[in-house]
Amino acid sequence: MEQAGIPTVSMTSALDITRLVKPPRSVFLNFPLGHTTGRPFDKEGQIKILKGALEFLVEAEEGGDIKELPDVWGEDWEIGVSLQGSSHK
Amino acid sequence: MVPISYIESVRKVFPDQPPYQWSTFEEAPFTPLKKPLQELRIGLISSCGIYQKDQPSFNTIKNDLTFREIPADVDPCDLRIAHNFYDSTDAKRDMNCVFPIERLRELGKEGFIGTFVSPAYTFMGRLFKRRELQDEMIPSLIQKFMEGKIDALLLVPC
Repeated sequence: MEQAGIPTVSMTSALDITRLVKPPRSVFLNFPLGHTTGRPFDKEGQIKILKGALEFLVEAEEGGDIKELPDVWGEDWEIGVSLQGSSHK
Repeated sequence: MVPISYIESVRKVFPDQPPYQWSTFEEAPFTPLKKPLQELRIGLISSCGIYQKDQPSFNTIKNDLTFREIPADVDPCDLRIAHNFYDSTDAKRDMNCVFPIERLRELGKEGFIGTFVSPAYTFMGRLFKRRELQDEMIPSLIQKFMEGKIDALLLVPC
């Protein structure tokens, strides 16, 4: 997309994978999978996350830059079995 | 909480399969913006597996290289999630967790961005056909983004 002339910004929940894959601009939100752009029914929080992400379109200086959002989920989580698909639960 | 190592976690979840090979890059292409955020036509694409109730669902097993066009003014009640390889419990209650259409509409109205471009695009994750993805699916999406005069794109992986 960038090569076609369209600037992009990608959200990410997985910092280690993002560092390897190196999308042009990434914004890391340390929330569990399934919450890439925020918590349910948290309109204010979702807006803040999106503003942080969209601002990075302008702020990023070179390909591969990563911005880490300060938002904290609040409790520890594990990735669990969701990656295996609900049919395997 | 320190960021989870997903590479290690994926290996643990699928111990019997060869380690997944992500497409890794040393450098990333970079197109600078030509206009301020307030003037941009912003597009959205998410691998959340969301579709409109009158559209076909996705093949949730793997390698569904189709995408859906979702009108920006869609009623969230008309959206469904096919993807079952991430925990979509919260996203089913509020799609904005993975497909922030209502929030982008508001940011457009508020003037934080120029316009939230309709339609937004969705597809499924679990794509293991790199060549078809790069040579077929992505070019047809780029064509759509060009037609929609999208200035910049927000990508939401799930």
